[in-house]
Amino acid sequence: MPAAPDCHWMSDLCDALMLLDGEGTVHRWSDGAEFMFGYTGAEAVDASMDELVVIQDRRDEQRRFIADTLLRGHDTFETLRRRKDGTLIYVDITGKVVNPSTTPTEQRLLFSEKDVTSLKVERDSKTLEARFRELLESTPDGIVIVNPTGHILIANSQAERLFAYGPGEMRATVVERLLPERFRAAHKGHRAHYFAQPRTRSMGAGLELYGLRKDGTEFPVEISLSPIRTEETPLVMSAIRDVSERKLFEQALREKNIELEKANLAKDRFLASMSHELRTPLNAVIGFTGTLLMKLPGDLNDEQTHQLEIVRSNAMHLLSLINDLLHLAKIEAGKIELNREPTDCCTLLNEVAASLEPQALAKGLALIVDVPPGRVVVDTDRRALNQILLNLANNAIKFTAAGHVRLELLAHESGARRGIQFAVEDTGPGMSEDEQAALFGAFVQGQAAKHKGVEGTGLGLHLSRKLAELLGGQLNCHSIPDQGSRFVLSLWEASP
Amino acid sequence: MSARILIAEDHPASLELMSYLLRAHGYDILPAENGEIALALAHSERPDLILCDLQMPAKTGFEVAEAVKSDPRTKDIPLIAVTAFSMLGDREKVLAAGFDDYFSKPIDATCFVRDLEQHLPPSLLATRLPRATRNGT
Repeated sequence: MPAAPDCHWMSDLCDALMLLDGEGTVHRWSDGAEFMFGYTGAEAVDASMDELVVIQDRRDEQRRFIADTLLRGHDTFETLRRRKDGTLIYVDITGKVVNPSTTPTEQRLLFSEKDVTSLKVERDSKTLEARFRELLESTPDGIVIVNPTGHILIANSQAERLFAYGPGEMRATVVERLLPERFRAAHKGHRAHYFAQPRTRSMGAGLELYGLRKDGTEFPVEISLSPIRTEETPLVMSAIRDVSERKLFEQALREKNIELEKANLAKDRFLASMSHELRTPLNAVIGFTGTLLMKLPGDLNDEQTHQLEIVRSNAMHLLSLINDLLHLAKIEAGKIELNREPTDCCTLLNEVAASLEPQALAKGLALIVDVPPGRVVVDTDRRALNQILLNLANNAIKFTAAGHVRLELLAHESGARRGIQFAVEDTGPGMSEDEQAALFGAFVQGQAAKHKGVEGTGLGLHLSRKLAELLGGQLNCHSIPDQGSRFVLSLWEASP
Repeated sequence: MSARILIAEDHPASLELMSYLLRAHGYDILPAENGEIALALAHSERPDLILCDLQMPAKTGFEVAEAVKSDPRTKDIPLIAVTAFSMLGDREKVLAAGFDDYFSKPIDATCFVRDLEQHLPPSLLATRLPRATRNGT
């Protein structure tokens, strides 16, 4: 019979035998020791037990055991040892002094070590079953409790269902069996690391983790770990949750999102081409009305001129409607990009007044600009602010038959920030409370507009308020019938 | 001698409108109903100015601009986009594509010709005034 198999056959039955000196240096190393720990005699002899099989935090324990053995002549002890491949095993040690001496290097001790891992797992498992079974069955998650050698001591029935094992089948198996092959090696490392620094945490937060069922299929899991301190052995409890459904849901959500983005793009394209398609015929209508009114093709009588003016003004109205609707659609879609820059409000208000002065003059209205001395600078989108103020001032002039339109700029301190208010006040017809309440809705016009046939799209104030909100401000109206209206736009000055 | 102006425009009413306005002021017109014809005319006729729609069959205005502005024989001809694309950012897009100016539709008949003439040297300005102006009305 060849020697090697014979040796293994023997080793399987034999305990590990080793001869040590008082400092823990190995002097003899049996085949059984080689089989149990993975180190050959050549590797082990003259090496220290500490470097070979003693776990870092159990070195004092090992020294104490040697001392006790030396003192009494013999002793027994159970501990955790590390094999060459890094895995841990429980061993039962019998130590015996074979050469007492006062010089540690002269001392000789014979250690006989027996692998009791399965026995220990069996024993700890029974203790835990008795203590925790009912408690574990009451939680909705799958739970396994694992010891430092990586063996499952207890698994509740939820865990058995998750991994498709029969009752009791998971007990005493190595926990890596619950992982797909590709994760096993890394997991052993994580496990050792965790026992060194146990704390409650979720495992591989942010990583994609998978469980492996008994039938070889995988499923996505979420795991949280908590250390359990028993009298002698540190244990880890893992709560495992099958997140297949959530993953499916997230996937569906991602797909839905992509779909929505596509739909949004399609809407943008639709808006752009609608704008184009509506403007193209209007170009001919407005253009040729213009050539006729310019009398390029020939003279016109008064009635023809009057009717062409009506065509032109209605075509221009249609154009404003298209512009406002597109603008509104862009605001609603959040497509307006604000370009904030330091803007001097006094200058801006003066510019608005200057551009509307001819209209005010034509109606015999006084256009008053009231700004504080110096510069009042806000960090805002100039175009949007300009559009709001033009709309308000234009409305005021449009609806006021006599009196004045006043454009005011007010600055006031409020805490750390300075508030800015633009007020546009007129001596026009004013509005009832009902009218004011509905004023900022789309396609709403006050009584004055309806009765006097004043032109407007009914979108101006609606747009202005939306823009004001985009700028982080507010647009409000105070009005008294037959006395006039005051529109106030409130903004915040740039923080220093 | 007044300028010869190439108009690339597939919408017949818009083409007629611009042609009419320019002829009324005394300019010669080279009409082109799509981008391809416009490019051919730009090469064979060497107009003094090109008005160009953007969305056209055969070749778009952007393709016309690329061809015109990359060819040393035509790159100095003023090229103006006249387009109904007037969403925010369209003007910048057009100027970035090589056009010398951007007119949005609907055009304003009262200032269209005057704006266009900014791109013509004085020697090529039309001497004929439109009838209405000539009559002093």
